[in-house]
This record gives sequence, C-alpha cells and structure tokens, in this order.
Amino acid sequence: MGFEVITSPPTNQEILELGLTACVDGACLPLKAFVGHVRFLVNRGLELLFVPQAISVVPGEYTCTNLLGLPDLVQQYIPSSVRLLSPALDARKGAGKISFSYLRCGLEFASALRVLKAWQTAQAAQRQVDTAPKANGSTGRGLNILILGPRYLTDDAYLNGDLMGKLAALGVQVTAAAAFPDSITLPASRSLAKRPFWTSMRRSLGALEHCLHRVDGVISLAPFACVAEAMQGVMVAERTAKTECAHLELHVDEHSSPVGLVTRLEAFCDLLERKRRG
Amino acid sequence: MRITFPHLGNAYIAVESLLRGLGHEPVTPPLTNRQTLERGSFHSPAEMCLPFKISLGNMLEGIDLGAESVLMIGGWGPCRLGYYGEIQRLLLEALGKEVEFITLEVPRGNYSRYMVHLQKLTGSTKFDHLRSGASLSWAKLNALEELEILALQTRPREKKRGATTGYLQYQLEQLRAAETVQEVEEILSTASRGFLRLRAREQNRPLRLGVVGEIYTVMDPFSNLRLEERLGYLGVEVVRTISLAEWVKNHIFKKALGLYSLAPLRRLAAGYLRGFIGGHGLESIARSVDLARKNLDGVVHVLPLSCMPEIVARGILPRVSRDHGIPVLSLMVDEHTGEGGFQTRLEAFVDMVQRRVGRLGK
Repeated sequence: MGFEVITSPPTNQEILELGLTACVDGACLPLKAFVGHVRFLVNRGLELLFVPQAISVVPGEYTCTNLLGLPDLVQQYIPSSVRLLSPALDARKGAGKISFSYLRCGLEFASALRVLKAWQTAQAAQRQVDTAPKANGSTGRGLNILILGPRYLTDDAYLNGDLMGKLAALGVQVTAAAAFPDSITLPASRSLAKRPFWTSMRRSLGALEHCLHRVDGVISLAPFACVAEAMQGVMVAERTAKTECAHLELHVDEHSSPVGLVTRLEAFCDLLERKRRG
Repeated sequence: MRITFPHLGNAYIAVESLLRGLGHEPVTPPLTNRQTLERGSFHSPAEMCLPFKISLGNMLEGIDLGAESVLMIGGWGPCRLGYYGEIQRLLLEALGKEVEFITLEVPRGNYSRYMVHLQKLTGSTKFDHLRSGASLSWAKLNALEELEILALQTRPREKKRGATTGYLQYQLEQLRAAETVQEVEEILSTASRGFLRLRAREQNRPLRLGVVGEIYTVMDPFSNLRLEERLGYLGVEVVRTISLAEWVKNHIFKKALGLYSLAPLRRLAAGYLRGFIGGHGLESIARSVDLARKNLDGVVHVLPLSCMPEIVARGILPRVSRDHGIPVLSLMVDEHTGEGGFQTRLEAFVDMVQRRVGRLGK
C-alpha cells in the first residue's frame, strides 16, 4: 500500500510495564500487554495505528468481548495526533464480509488496483504462516501434550513464561490448539451439547475432542480472571475425567513466576510418565 | 412439574405467576443470602463472576426444596451469560443432581432438543390459562418495578428512617399473593398513596445519582450490597437506567420481530464507543451521557469483577466524566466485597458530589 510500517517487537518487560501502568485495572494480562504495545508504538512517533475491531472471524461466532471494544479502549491511551485505523471485521453474516471491510478500508489510501494487489500479497503471506508446521518440542520422552488457550497467550512466549520452550526442554512433544484448522475443530466441536460461541473456546474444545485419545496430557493456558477460560476449564475437566488424559490448568497474570511454572511442568510431566509406565 | 429458577432482584414475583400460568409449580429458592453465595462459590470455578455463583447457589437451594427441573436463560454471545446455563448443567450433573435443565434461548442447531423442552414447558396447559398467566406475570413485573422506583424516590425524603424499606417489603408481599391483574392495579394505587404519606415536607432537593452497569449486579440487591438502599439513606435519590420490563420488551419481543435497534444508544455513545461491545457496555456509556445531559449530579457504575464489556466501559467512563462534567464512581463487586469499605466509598462519593453541587450553586 506504500506505507512505512512500524511494528513493535515481541512482548518484553518494557512493553508490559507500559501497559500495566496505564491500562484500566480488572483487564486481563493480554489486554494490558496490548495497551503496552500501543503505547510503545505511539512513543515511536506514528500517524496511523492499525487496531481492527475483530467482532467475529467465523460465521455464527464471536471473538472475545474484549476485542469488540478494543479500538475504543485503545483510543484512551493515544494522543489525538495519532489516527486509529480500525475496520470492523464481522464474519457473523459470512466470511466474505471481512475481505470487504479490509478492501474498503484500503480504498481511502490507494487506488482499487493497488489495494487488491496488496490484499492478495497479504493473503499469500497469511497462508504461508497458516500452513507452516506447528508441532514443536522433542520426542525425547515420548510424551505428547496438547496446549489449549487463546492464541494471544499460546503464541506469546513472554506472556506465557515460555511454556513451549520449557516443555521442549523437558523432552515433550507439544501441539497447540491453534495448529488445528477450523476444518478439523468445527466438526469435532459438534459433539458438544452446546457449541461454544467464542471462536477461541470452540477451537480449543474442538482440538481436544480431536486429540483426546492421542495425547497423554492437556494443559489449558488462561489469563487470570478470564471467565470464558474458566468455563472452558469446566468443560475440559468434564471431558478428560472420563478418559486417560491428564489435565493441568495454568493461569497467568503479571505476577506469575517462571520458577513456579517450571516446577509445575516438571511435576506434570513426571506424572504423565509414571502413568504411561503404568 | 416442579420448577426452580435463579433469582434476579424481585423478579421471582413475576416468574412465579408465569410458571403457574404454564401449569407448573414454581419452587422459589430462598431469597439470595450469604449461604447461597457460599454454596454457589464452593461448586464454581474460582474465576467465574458473581452472578454465576449466586445463580448456581439459587439452583442448588431450589433443588433442595424438591424441584425437578431448573429454568435458566441462555444465548449465543457475545455475553458469556449465554453459556452459563450449559456450564451450570454440567456442574449440577457432576454433583449428581438428577434434574431436568431447561435453557430458554433462541434455538440453533439441534432443534429437536428445544422442541422437547418447549413441549414440557407448555404441553400441559390450556391456551386461556397460559394467556391469563402471562398477562398477570407481565402486570406484576411492571408493578414491582414501579413500586421499587417509588421506594427510591421516597427513601431520601422519608420521615422515619427505614419506614420505606418496610413498606416496600409489605407491598411486594401483597403483590406476590395477588391473583388477578385487577388486584395488581389496586395494590399499585394504594402503594403510590402510601409512599407519599411516608415523605417529610421537602426542605432541600436531594442529590440525584444515576446507576448504570451490568444488569444483574444493578438489579440484584444482594450482589450490589443493597446499593440503592444505602444511597437512599445517605439522602440520595437513585435514578434507575435499567428496567427488567424494558429489557424483556426490547430483547425478547422487539428482537423477535426485528424491531429492536441500538441506534439511539449508539448516537448517545458516539465518540466513545462505536457500537455494541457485549453485555451492557454500550448501555453503560450511553446512559451515562444521557444522565449528564439530564443534569443529574453523578453516576454510579456497578460491575461484577472480571466482566469484560464493563471493564472496557470502565476504561472509557473517565473521559465521559471529563467531557460532560459529571462525577462517576465505578464499583466492582465480587463475593469478597466488604460492606465497610463499600459504605466508606459511597459516603466519600456522596460528600464529594454534595460539595460540588454546592459549589456550582445548582
């Protein structure tokens, strides 16, 4: 599109601090980190800030309610010289609506042809990310663990205390729920009595149904004080209780200690190993 | 069928009539108390919000009284309340309670399940019976809100401290026992005269504070630590912005007909919120702006801990307060809210508003 793009680095201490000092209390850790990223970028000096209002990305479902109000919340923390660019992404009435919002948003800045080209390039780049192999860790101990939780936690190594890295160091094969496309998780979630209407929760529970008999354990990762995740915890517990699959719930907030995390992970892996040996 | 249901303020009076009209026997759990909450919290995941825990506690107490089934409302997002029923069903099942769990919601997906529920609810009753039950229930719902509003207006002006609350309680009991729409109307007209008699001659105009926030914590006196009563005793006339009758009209009747529009709210919240953010977030902002325009003295915003839409609203309210020159107090409630601290904050806020009003010479 011809813009000079400034992105913030992966979350770090400085960025989180920026968020913690400004963000309204009661907000969850990822939201505070997001505000930190926004403030970090604003300090860099920019004119336009891209914060889409992600209402829904799959027909009939919602993203987290925090994302619905995200642009309006962010508005509180930026100076008036910065303009917020926030197309509403609403797939409730069909996935095509999202492309439409992006294209319409772009038309303000460039010709239709250029916008269309930029859109195609962006989609190709996204496909590359989506199709990249995602399972990581090592097979040293022959343990398989499924990680459930929203992507803004599972994919952020700083916020989750490098959970993936720590599990890999323990010699465990890790798969995140996000690694399963909707074509797997949607049909899998149909067996639930009531399909969850939040995309992240539906993906996690769908992935769980899909892998229930193929993994040794499940770790659900949730921000502290997230009710959606608390409900997910109930459902995961109900599901795993009837099988051989073990379940560990991890809640993270800005006070979480990486040392405590290691201890819990080690204990969990030892337990899984002992269980496997019978 | 013996049916129990969770409490929401005094709404049980209307729900009882509706269930009787449907040919069922309502099993009203005891009014929410400390024990209800403790029981609900004990069986809930720690991070669930206050309304979830209280309603689970109500259900458990209703089951103890011999209910065979539980009635709950549901929905399809984005508010998580829509999924509470499902989680509560799982929790009750895990506790080994053998009850039929009926969730009232717009059907989606598996229609046959809803049909079975609907048949169980309405099957055994005649249409006439149902219609009179529904109209009685609707009259009671409107009447009880009217009584509560009269009490709100009377409390800061009452001659004898505490008289209003007692009188309201008495009238609500009368209303609960009423069997026809006629009786309901009579109670209402007696009460409106009765409330007037409790008032002293007015000396100063009492402060007027609006209450906005998440519907459950605003409507349920137990969860907001009897906020309206406390404010009344501090000499404040509370102005409600949320009405259950209104909610039922908008979200059930108008929405079903496709007549409900958020446009008026969106216009009020313009510049702060671009639209619906789930729950009552948009309402909280829009109503605060509205209250400021109506020249109220302040706004009290009530939200349960960890309520996502209200947290967004809470982040935005300070700007509304600055722009419109109206003091706003946000109160988060959870099962640990201490009464002392709560009272202190209310007193400080009321003092501050009082001084501000004096300074502005309003």
